[in-house]
Amino acid sequence: MLRALHFAWRNSVRQPGRTCLGVLGVAAVGALLFDMLLLSHGLVLSFRDLLDRAGFDVRVLATDAAPLSGPRIVDAEAAVAAIARLPQVEAAVPVSIRNAEIVSQSEGARPIRVQFLGADPNARPMWTVIDGRDLSAGASAGSPLLVNRALAARLGVAPGSTVSLRGSCGPGSAALPQMRFAIVGVAEFPFDDAAAETVAGPISSLAGLCGDEPGSSVDMLLVRSNPKDGSESAAAAIRARLRGLHVVTNGELVERFSRVEFSYFRQISFVLATVTMFFGFLLIAVLLTASVNERLGEIAALRAVGLSRGRVVAGVLFESMMMVGAGAILAVPVGLALSVWLDGILRALPGIPTDVHFFVFESRALVSYAWLLGAASVGAALYPMRIVATLPIAATLRREVVG
Amino acid sequence: MTEPPIVEARHVSRTFPMAAAPVAALRDVSLGIASGEYVAVVGPSGCGKSTLLHILGCVDVPTGGEVLFHGRGVSSLSDGDRSRLRLRELGFVFQRFFLLPMLTAWENVELPQAEAGVDRAVRRRRATELLEYVGLSNRAGHRPSELSGGEMQRVAIARALANRPRLLLADEPTGELDQQTGGQIVTLLDELHKDGTAVVVVTHDMAVAARAHRLLTMRDGQIVESTSR
Amino acid sequence: MDRTRIAAPFAIALVAAAALVTTGAAQTGQAADAPGVLLSRQLMERRQLHVGDLVRLSADPSGGRPQSFRILGVYEPTADPMRFAQPALEVRLHLPDLLALKRDPSQPAASDTVSAINVALVNPADADGFARDVSARLPGTTAASTMAPNDRTSTFVVIERFHLAIAIVTMIGSAVFLLALMIMMVDERRETVGTLRLIGFTRRRILLQVLAEGALIAVAGTTFGILFSFASQGAFNRFFQWRYDTSLVFLRITPGVVAQSILLAVPLGIVASLAASWALLRRGALALIRR
Repeated sequence: MLRALHFAWRNSVRQPGRTCLGVLGVAAVGALLFDMLLLSHGLVLSFRDLLDRAGFDVRVLATDAAPLSGPRIVDAEAAVAAIARLPQVEAAVPVSIRNAEIVSQSEGARPIRVQFLGADPNARPMWTVIDGRDLSAGASAGSPLLVNRALAARLGVAPGSTVSLRGSCGPGSAALPQMRFAIVGVAEFPFDDAAAETVAGPISSLAGLCGDEPGSSVDMLLVRSNPKDGSESAAAAIRARLRGLHVVTNGELVERFSRVEFSYFRQISFVLATVTMFFGFLLIAVLLTASVNERLGEIAALRAVGLSRGRVVAGVLFESMMMVGAGAILAVPVGLALSVWLDGILRALPGIPTDVHFFVFESRALVSYAWLLGAASVGAALYPMRIVATLPIAATLRREVVG
Repeated sequence: MTEPPIVEARHVSRTFPMAAAPVAALRDVSLGIASGEYVAVVGPSGCGKSTLLHILGCVDVPTGGEVLFHGRGVSSLSDGDRSRLRLRELGFVFQRFFLLPMLTAWENVELPQAEAGVDRAVRRRRATELLEYVGLSNRAGHRPSELSGGEMQRVAIARALANRPRLLLADEPTGELDQQTGGQIVTLLDELHKDGTAVVVVTHDMAVAARAHRLLTMRDGQIVESTSR
Repeated sequence: MDRTRIAAPFAIALVAAAALVTTGAAQTGQAADAPGVLLSRQLMERRQLHVGDLVRLSADPSGGRPQSFRILGVYEPTADPMRFAQPALEVRLHLPDLLALKRDPSQPAASDTVSAINVALVNPADADGFARDVSARLPGTTAASTMAPNDRTSTFVVIERFHLAIAIVTMIGSAVFLLALMIMMVDERRETVGTLRLIGFTRRRILLQVLAEGALIAVAGTTFGILFSFASQGAFNRFFQWRYDTSLVFLRITPGVVAQSILLAVPLGIVASLAASWALLRRGALALIRR
C-alpha cells in the first residue's frame, strides 16, 4: 500500500500546476460544504448557549405560544411564590416586556419607540452594565432606568440624565400618562439585535407605565433550577404545581425554535451542502477521468510489465483521495474564514440578537465533513477506476502506437 | 528429457470484432520459444506480428487454441496470475518506450522489482547493475524527458530485465530510433541473448531481423515461413 | 402588537385575538344563528373539518366564553415569506364577529381595538407625510407607509446578500476547476499545436482558433447550465412547497438572472481557455511535439 501511495503521490505531482488547481477547487468547494455543516446546527447551538448564559434554565408562560407573543400570566405574584417554594427551584423571576415611547420635547418629532424590560432589580440581572450602575445599586431621583448603548448614543444621554416615557401597552389602553425616569446606567442586553433600542427598569415601574396593578400579570417567569435537580426535574415539579401554565426548559425551547423558526436555515444548509457535494464530486470525477485518459498508454504498459490490476486501480483511488484530502485540509481554515464573513452577513437579519451566531464550530461538523469528502473522493474515483480496471492492455498498446 | 519451451502457442487464433466485420489477426498459429532462443518475427503491417507478441507475453488472450508457459496452460489463469507471470518471467520492450515520466531512469528500472516485493537493498544493487549494463549509469538520476530516444529505450530494456526474466519480448524496439541508435539497441539485444535470455523481437527492419537465429515470416495472420540461421 | 424578543423571521404570527378552535356539539338553537367563518386549508386538514361543520372559537387561551361559528368555506392563506415555516392555522371572521368574540365584560373599551388600519390615500405620494402626521396626533400608534423599509425588506436584503456570497464562493471554485480542465484539454492537443506551429501557423492564428472553440464551449455550457437551472427550479420549488405546505415560490429564474449568468459564465469560459492555451503557446514548437 505504501508503494501505491508513493506512486499516487508521484503521479499527482508530475503536473504540479494542474494538481494545485484541483486542490484549490476542492478547497473552495470543501470550504462551502464545511460552512453549510456549521450552519446546520450553528444557530441552535448559539441560541442554546445564549439562553444558558442568561442564567435561567426554565421558562413559565401562560400558553405554548412563543415567549412574549402570547397572553400574559395572571396572578403572577402567587405563581412566583408557589414556584420559589419548590425544592427543585433556586430562583423564580417575573419578567415583562412592553413597548414604550420616549417622549420628545421637540414639537412634531417622531416618537422613539423602545422596548421596556421590566424585571426584579434584586434578581440576578439579565444584562451587563457597561457604564454607571445597575438598577438595584443605590437610590435615584425618580424611577431608575437602564438604557442600551444604541439608545444612549441616539439620545445623547448618560448615567445621570433623565428621560420621559409613555407606555404603548396593547389593547384597552388609552393614551397613558408620561413617567419620568432617571438613567442610572448603560447596559448590554443579550437578546438585543443590532437595531434594538431597549430600556430596563423595575417591573413595578413598568406596571405603572402601563397602568397595571403591580404584580398582576407578567409575560413570563424565568426560573433557575437547583443544580442538584436540574431543569427537567424543576420543570416537572412546576407543571405538577401549576397545571394551567406552560412550562418549557431551555432545551425544549431550542428544540421548538429549531423545528419552526430556524428550520429555513437547516433546510438551506442541507440543500447547499447537497449541491456542493454533487458539484465537487462531479468536478473531481471529471478531473480524474481526464487525467487517467491522458495516461492510458502508460497504464497499459505498466500492466504489460506486470503491475497487477488492483495495484493500478488502487493508484487511481489514492490519487483521488490525495487531491481531495489536500483540498479538504486547506478548506478548513478557508471555511472558518468564510464562515466569519457569512455569519456577519446573516447577523444583520432584523431581530437576531447580536450575541447569536449562525456558524458555530463543533467537532461533529468536522467529522461529518471528513466523512462526506472521503465518500466524495471514493465516489468520484469509481468511474476512472473502472476505466483502468477494464483497460484492454493489448488494444491500448496498439492504439498508442497507431496514435 | 528435453526442456519444454519457455512459451508455446498451439493453434492459436485471435479475432477482433469490428464494426464492419470480425478481423482475424491470427489464424491457427503454432510455435514454441525455447530457452535461450533468439527469434525475429517479420512481416508487412497488419500481418499480426504485434498480436502474436501480445499473446505470447500473456498481455492478450487468444480466441482459439492455447498458450503454455513452461508446459502449463495460461489461458485459464486469472488476470492477477497473468500479471504475476509477466512480472517475474517476462520482460517487455515497446516501440514507444513507455517510461514513467515522473520517475528517474533509476526509479523506472527499480519499479518492477518493487512490485515483485524484492528487498530494497537488493533492488538498489540490481538497478545500478542494469543501468551499468545498458551503459547509462551516469544518467541514472535523469528523467525520461532529459534522455534521448536511444537512452530511453535502453532504460526500457533495463526495466524489462529487472526481475531476471527468462524471455524478453520486444515490439519494434528500434521503430522510433535512427539507424545508428537502433544499431546500439540491437547490439544490446545481442548481448542479452548471449547472456542466456531468450529474445523474441517483432520488427519490420530486416537488418534487425538478421541478428536473430530463427526468422518467422508472417502474412495475413499466419506464419508462412520459418527459417533458422 | 407586542414584538417578540427574537423578532423578524422567527416572529410568531400575531393576531388580534388568539383563537382556539374547538369542535363540539353546539346547542341546537345556536346552530341556525351561528355566524359564518372561513378556515385556512391547513387548519381544515389538521382538524379534519368540512364545510358546514360547526366550530367553537374562543379569544381566551383557556377556552373561556366560546362562541359557535359555521364553516362557510376554506381558503388558501396568502403565503407570507416571513412566516413560511409556521403552519398557517388561521380563521377569517367578519370584523364585528371578531370584536364580539373578544368582548370582555370587565374591559368594555378593550373590545373596540384592532391590530391595524389600512389606509388608501387619495394621493399615494403623500404617504410618508400622512404617516408622520398620524403618529404625532395619535400617541401610542405607529403609522408607516407600506413602501417604507422595514424589518421585512431588511430580512430579504440580508438573505439576498447571503445567497450572493454563496454564489461568489461557488463561482470561485468553478473557475478554478474550469481552468484545471481547460489546461488538461489543451494539453491533450499539445502535439497537434506543435505540428501546426512547425507548419507555419502563427501563435495569433492558433489563439484565434482557441478563442472560437472556447467561446463555443462556453456558450454551449452556459446554455446547458441555464436549461438545467430551469429544470431544477421546478424541483426545488416543489420540494420546499411540499416541505412547508405553502404556495410560496422560493426559486425563480428571472431574465435578469439569466443575463447575469451569461455575462459571468461565457467570459469565464473564454478566459479560462485562453489562459490555458497561452501557457501552451508560450512554449516552442519542438518542445510541444517532443514527448
